[in-house]
Amino acid sequence: MANFRSIYKIQVFLTILIHLTVALYEDQVGKFDWKRSFVGKVKFVSFEAKRIIVATEENVLATLNLNNGDIQWRQILEDPSNYQLELLHVNKDILTVSGVRNNWLVRTWNINTGTLLAEWVINAERTVPSAFTIINGKILHLVPITGSHLEITTYSFIDHENGVLKGVTRIVSAPWLTNISNCVFAGLHYVCVGSNQLHFINLDQENSKFITKPLDTFIESEAGKIILIEYKHKTPSFLMLSNNIAKLASIVDENIVIKPFDLMPNAVNVVGNGKDLIYQLEANDNKEKLIRIKVKDFQTGADEFSVDLDYPLGLGAPIILGAQNRGSSSDLLLSTTDNALLLVRLPEAKILWSREEALSNIVATEFFELPISELDASIEHEFDNENDIFGMFSHRISTQINQFYNLVFGNKLLQNSGLVRDEFGLHKIIVVATRAGKLFALDTLSGSIAWSYRLPNIQPFLGLNGQEQMLLYVQRTAQFAPLPAHCILLAQDTITGNGILFEFDPITGYSDKGIQKLPYRISQATLLLQHDKNFLKPLLVLSQDNELYAYPRDAVSVIKDHFSTIFLYTANSETAILTGFTLKYSTENQMVVKKSWDIDLKPSKIVALGVKPQNEQVHSQGKVLYDRSVYYKYVNPNLLAVATISPDPMHHNVLSIYLIDGVTGLVVYGTSHKRAKGPVHLVHSENWLVYSYFNERFRRTELAALELYEGHLQSNSTAFSSFAVSQLPHIQSQSYILPLVPLKMAVTLTERGITNKFLLVAMSSGAVLEIPWLLLQPRFENMPCGPEESCIPYMPEIPMHPEAIINYNQTLGRIRGIEVAPARLESTSHILVHGLDIFYTRVAPSKTFDVLKEDFDHKLIVLVLSALIIATFVTKKLAARKALKQAWK
Amino acid sequence: MSGKFSNKRQKWSLENVKSNRVVTEALASPPAYSNSFVTSSNEVSKKTDVSRLITKKSWDLALAPLKQVPMNLFISYMAGNSISIFPIMMVGMLLMRPVQAIWATKSTFKMMETSNAILQMIVYIFGNLVNIGVALYKCHSMGLLPTHASDWLAFVEPPVRIEYLGGGIIHH
Repeated sequence: MANFRSIYKIQVFLTILIHLTVALYEDQVGKFDWKRSFVGKVKFVSFEAKRIIVATEENVLATLNLNNGDIQWRQILEDPSNYQLELLHVNKDILTVSGVRNNWLVRTWNINTGTLLAEWVINAERTVPSAFTIINGKILHLVPITGSHLEITTYSFIDHENGVLKGVTRIVSAPWLTNISNCVFAGLHYVCVGSNQLHFINLDQENSKFITKPLDTFIESEAGKIILIEYKHKTPSFLMLSNNIAKLASIVDENIVIKPFDLMPNAVNVVGNGKDLIYQLEANDNKEKLIRIKVKDFQTGADEFSVDLDYPLGLGAPIILGAQNRGSSSDLLLSTTDNALLLVRLPEAKILWSREEALSNIVATEFFELPISELDASIEHEFDNENDIFGMFSHRISTQINQFYNLVFGNKLLQNSGLVRDEFGLHKIIVVATRAGKLFALDTLSGSIAWSYRLPNIQPFLGLNGQEQMLLYVQRTAQFAPLPAHCILLAQDTITGNGILFEFDPITGYSDKGIQKLPYRISQATLLLQHDKNFLKPLLVLSQDNELYAYPRDAVSVIKDHFSTIFLYTANSETAILTGFTLKYSTENQMVVKKSWDIDLKPSKIVALGVKPQNEQVHSQGKVLYDRSVYYKYVNPNLLAVATISPDPMHHNVLSIYLIDGVTGLVVYGTSHKRAKGPVHLVHSENWLVYSYFNERFRRTELAALELYEGHLQSNSTAFSSFAVSQLPHIQSQSYILPLVPLKMAVTLTERGITNKFLLVAMSSGAVLEIPWLLLQPRFENMPCGPEESCIPYMPEIPMHPEAIINYNQTLGRIRGIEVAPARLESTSHILVHGLDIFYTRVAPSKTFDVLKEDFDHKLIVLVLSALIIATFVTKKLAARKALKQAWK
Repeated sequence: MSGKFSNKRQKWSLENVKSNRVVTEALASPPAYSNSFVTSSNEVSKKTDVSRLITKKSWDLALAPLKQVPMNLFISYMAGNSISIFPIMMVGMLLMRPVQAIWATKSTFKMMETSNAILQMIVYIFGNLVNIGVALYKCHSMGLLPTHASDWLAFVEPPVRIEYLGGGIIHH
C-alpha cells in the first residue's frame, strides 16, 4: 500500500512539475541571456608570447588573449576575503603561492589549459605579513620579525612529505626591520629602507648578511619618506620614490649606483632589440590626448621617443602593469584606478582592447525602464499648444504619416538610437555601482555598456556580515516623458567616511550637479512613495546622529501631511538592537526623528534581515482551500524578518527567526532552531518567508518556509494598518532538505503579482536554481493535497532538476547577488546574477502565458484566412450561377 | 374533412345479417342502404370530442417538461461531475433547452387553436423552470456556479497601506 502511495505521489508530482519547470531549448541559448566574465583587479601579470597571465586581487588566475583581451581560461581560487595570491612565477608552467596567514598553497598550472599540475602546502610558524620569491627553482619565504631579524625559509620541491613542503630556515639579523612594505625584491637581492638607511641582502648566497648604506649619500631630500618600488631588470635594480620623483638604483658589487635621471613611479623595463628601455606614463597638456608614453634609455636616461595616447575619457589614472617587446612593436598592459585593464600597442599607441574589471564587484543594482521613442513622445506633445488648431492638425497628420512609414519600412528610430522602450518592457537599462566607485549602465538586450561614470574617492558601506553595498534609489522613472529619469546614489567618502550623494540621469549618465559631499555620515536612507510637482520621490537620509535630511530639499512640503504615517527603523548589527522611529513630531520647518520602540536582541548576533521588495504587488488576497472557502493572507507590508544566532552551551548555536512589525515593534512570530548555524539567507515576500540554514546535527542545509494567514475572515479588506491588530496571524510552517550550499537567495517579482513565484537559489557550484514556491508552500494539516488543490505532496528533499538551472551550463564564479526586476509583461521578470561574472536572463515562472509563442505562424494564419474569405466569395458566385441555370431548365 | 367523408361512407354500409323486416315492408331497400342513420346528434358529439382532444393535447404539451425531469436527473447523474467537453455540452443543453422553451411558449401554444390555455402555459413554464433548476443544480454540483467566497477572490482589491516604513541595517 505504501509502495502504491509513493508511486501515486511521484506521479502527481511529476504531472505538476512538468507544468512548472521552464527549461530552455538548445536554440534559445544566448537568445535573451548573456554572460560577461571578469577576473578582478590585476595584481600580478606576466606576458607569455600570445597571452597574458594575470593573478588578481579576487584570487583568480587567468590568461587573457593578447589580441582581444578574451579570457582563455580562468581558475577561481579560494575566497579572496581570506586568501590572497602572493606570488606568480611563470617558467615552463605557472607557479602560484596563495594562502592565508601561515598556511600557503603552492600550485603549478599548465599554461595552455589552466589545469592544476601539482599542489604543495607550506605551513609556516609565523602569522605576520611575509613575502615570497623564487630563486633557482626554490621558493624563498621571507618573514620579518619586527625589530629583531628576518627569517628566510627555503623550500625545494623535492623535499616534501605528503604534499607538505619542508623548508630550511636561516635567520638574518635585522634590528631595524619594521614593516615588510618597506622592502622590495631586486633580482636576487632583497632591499629594505629603514630610518635613513638602505639595507640589502643577496638571497642567492648562503650565510649572506644585510649590507647597510646610508641614504643621504645618494638622495639629498631627507624630508620626504622614501618608498621602494620594484623594477625588473637583469642587474638587480629598484626605484626609490621620494616626493613623487623616482630614481633608478642598481646594486653593483655590493654598492648602490643611482642613475642620474628622474623617472615616474610607474616606470617599467622592456628589453627590445637587445637594448634596455624604460617605459613610463606622463600626464599630457593636450586635452585630446591626456596620457603620453615616454621611452627612455636605461643607461643614459635620454628620451628615445614619446607618443601621445588617445586615452578614453572616464577612465582613471593608469599605471603600467607590464610590458613586452615583440620585435618591431611592443605591448603595454595598463591598469587604471577604476580597475580597468588596457592593452596599448606601440609605437602607434593604439588601444587594442580594454576590460572593465570594476564590474567584477558590484555593490548596488537598479533596473530602469527606457524612455519612449521620439515619435511616441511627439504624439503625446500634441496638446502642448492647444490654441492653434491648424498646428495641432498638421502635427497629427505628420506624426501619423511617420507612424505609417515606420509600420511599412520598419522603425528607423529604434534601430538608430537603440535605447528606446519596447512594447513589453523587456529592454531595460541596468545601472550598477561597483566597489571601485564606477557606475555602469548595461543594456539588457546585449550586455554592452551604455555609459559609465567614475566617482573618485568613494567606497561602499559595510552592511551585515561585512557585505559591501551602496544605495541606489530611483526618484523618477522615465515614464514622465519630457522630464528625464532621476536616480540617486549614496556612498561613503574614502577619507572622511562622510556621505556622498550623486544625482544622475540613469539613461544617459548625465549629472548636472556632480558629486555632492554631505557633512554627515549616513546611517540609513529610504525613498518615500509620494512625489512632488516634478514627480520626484523624496529621499529621506538618516545620519548616524539620528538627524533626518530630505532630498530634494524642498520635498518637506510634499511630505508634511504624511509625517504621522512615515516610520523608520534601523538594525544595528554591532549592538544587535533594532530601533523604530516616528516622524510624528516633525513640523514643516524641522523634521524630528523620535524613537518609538526598540528591541534588544543581545547576546544574539543579527545575521540576516529580510524585507519585502518595495514595489511588490500582491494580487491574490487569499488561498482557496479544498472546500472552496478562502483563507485570507496576512499581507503586512511593514513586516521585517530578522534572523539571529546566539551561542548556547547545550546546543552550540541557536538560530532564531523573528517576524517584527516595523511600525509598532510588535513581534508577530518567533521561532528557533537548535544546533543550527549560518550562513542564513532570508527571502521575504507576500505573506511568506523562506530561510536556509545549516543544520549541525544532521550536517545538511535546510530550508524552512513560513506562511502567515489571517484566517477565514478578513479583519479589514480595504486598508491595512499596523496599529489595528485584532489577532495575531496563523502561521503555517514546513521545512525541507536542500541538497546544495546556497550562496544567495532571491524571489521573482512580476508587475502585478499574478504569476507564480519562483525562488532563485545561487549555489556554491556556480549554478542558479529555480525552485517553485508551490514546492515549498507549507501544506495544511488534515487537508487533501493533490493536483486538484494545486498542491504537491510534501517531500522532505527538494529535487534539483538540471532543467531548473537558469544559467544552464554557464557556471558563474563567486556569486555575490541576485537582482530581480519586473518586466511590463506580467509573466516575465528580469534576473541579474552578479559576482565575478555577470549573468542576465529572463524567467517566466508560469511560462509566457501572455505572449504568443515565437514559432507562432502569423503568415500562415493570415494566408489561410484570406484564402478562406476569397473561397467563400467565389463559391457564392458559382452557386448563384448554378441556381440561375437550374431555374432556366 | 375526414368527418364528412366518413358520413358518406356510413350511408352505404353493408348489412351482413339477414333481416326479417323484408316481409313487412313494401319495398325492400336496396342492399346496403339503411334508412335509419341519423346524423344530427353525431355532429354535436364530434364537436365536443375535438375540444376535449385539444385540451388533452395541450395538457400533454404542458406536462411534457415535467415528465422530462426524471430523465434529466438520470442523465445528469450519468454524466458525472468532471468538467470535460461532454458533461459541459450536456449541462449547456439542459440549461438552454428550457430557457428556449420558455421564450417560445406562446408560439408553442398557438398551435393548439385555443386561446384559453393559461393554466397549461403556467404549468408548462413551471415545468421548464424545474428543468432549469435541475440544470442549475447540476452546474452547482459541478462547481460551475460562483457561490463560494473563493470565486470572487480575484476581484478583491488589495488593502490600502496606511503606514509607510523605511530603513534597514545601519551602514558603517
